[in-house]
Amino acid sequence: MGYAIEIEKLTKNYGKARGVEDVSLKVAEGDIFGFIGPNGAGKSTTIRSMLGFLKFDQGKITILGMDSVKDHEKILAEVGYMPSEAWFYNSMKVSEVIAYAAAVRRKDCRKEAEMLCERLKLDTNKRIKELSLGNRKKVSIVCAMQHKPKLFIFDEPTSGLDPLIQKRFFELINEYVDQGTTCLLSTHVLSEVNKYCRNAAIMREGRLMMLDSHEIDDDTFLSYYEEDES
Amino acid sequence: MKRVFLNECKMNIRTFLIWSLVVGGLGFFCITLYESMQGDMENMADAFSKMGAFSDAFGMSTLSIATIEGFFATEVGTVHGLGSAMFAAILAIGILSKEEEGHSGEFLFSLPLSRKKVLAAKGLCVFAALLGFTLVCTALYIAGFAFLGEELPVKEFALFMSGQFLMNVEIAAVCFAISALSGKNRMGLGIGIALIFYLYDIIGRVVPDLKDYIFVGPFSYANASEIFSGAEIRTAAVVIGIAVALLAAVSAFVCYERRDLAA
Repeated sequence: MGYAIEIEKLTKNYGKARGVEDVSLKVAEGDIFGFIGPNGAGKSTTIRSMLGFLKFDQGKITILGMDSVKDHEKILAEVGYMPSEAWFYNSMKVSEVIAYAAAVRRKDCRKEAEMLCERLKLDTNKRIKELSLGNRKKVSIVCAMQHKPKLFIFDEPTSGLDPLIQKRFFELINEYVDQGTTCLLSTHVLSEVNKYCRNAAIMREGRLMMLDSHEIDDDTFLSYYEEDES
Repeated sequence: MKRVFLNECKMNIRTFLIWSLVVGGLGFFCITLYESMQGDMENMADAFSKMGAFSDAFGMSTLSIATIEGFFATEVGTVHGLGSAMFAAILAIGILSKEEEGHSGEFLFSLPLSRKKVLAAKGLCVFAALLGFTLVCTALYIAGFAFLGEELPVKEFALFMSGQFLMNVEIAAVCFAISALSGKNRMGLGIGIALIFYLYDIIGRVVPDLKDYIFVGPFSYANASEIFSGAEIRTAAVVIGIAVALLAAVSAFVCYERRDLAA
């Protein structure tokens, strides 16, 4: 089986501040991989390095068999990314944002986008500035899924979404994964890891540790956070 | 890249229309005032031309504001110079940094586009807006001359508008480079840069010892009074203007390519 994500000895520092150190990670194709850890542990730094937002100091990242630096554009064409804070251009309508994302990708995604908006109950006639965080997250989901990418990278995707939409969101992930998509899910929600993920790793103080099982009990889960505070 | 360019143009259309219509409209209004002020101007022109360094600074020692050319150069020249410089600075200094400040960068840069392409699209948008601004103002100033039934000094007018356009591009390029370096919209800094360039030119014309150095500033080769009085524009000033614009644009690409993008 091939790997959708291969990270080898990734190190990224922000001046004197710690980013991530010597992180190695492999996510198999077709996996739903849980990426957990306290705030500031380095999850977003790892994700943002994968996507080329950050210039890392050392290491190598391979996404879908392509080098993250050399094949940056090709990788982004095959990735659906949802950032933790979903921000767009305030003056644009939801429909315009979705159409813009598809147009830049040079794909006709209207049918898929329509299906996603219907299932997520997203009003496409509203302007971005009129939307709550939850509704902006829905726009982000549509933009990440409408082009049927080979890899999803979701950074705390469910914050702000109501329980029904959360359920539908994971139903959608499972449907896409059944068709061959891989999903990296960064989250603080234990139930999401236990229920939907097949493998998981925890990030603490800039270092990564693979977990033997994605099924974690509350006490173990919280201990990852408590130890970090001490 | 084409989609980013079009989207950027769409998002900036309101700013473009406001600035071009306000500056062009002010210029048009100034031109149309000439006829009603002509009588008073004749009396004032002589006095204005004898105010020493002040007259030199605003070109009133070489041009009579009682003529339409002199009136256009001193009044509209100042309005257009300052207005266009501020528009160029405000537009360019926010065009990149607004993505990080408004947190829309994570959306834009997750699309399959290199940073170079995004920069090129945004740079082209600034260039197109400055060109459009110059064309709108040109049309309104020509309309002003036509309204008065005065003959347009075509050569000087074309030189003035071209010089102003290059000056705008130079200021915009400097601000574009700052925008590439900063994660925040520095609109105040942009306006400050435009005003400093303007003041540098005025001070250089007032202080005799600095006269030899004003060619370094972007306002030097676009000075309406000099152009309309037939003074030769220093080639070195134009060459420096183009070189600064190119250097700033290249710096923007190099810096933006290398730096981390804020969340």
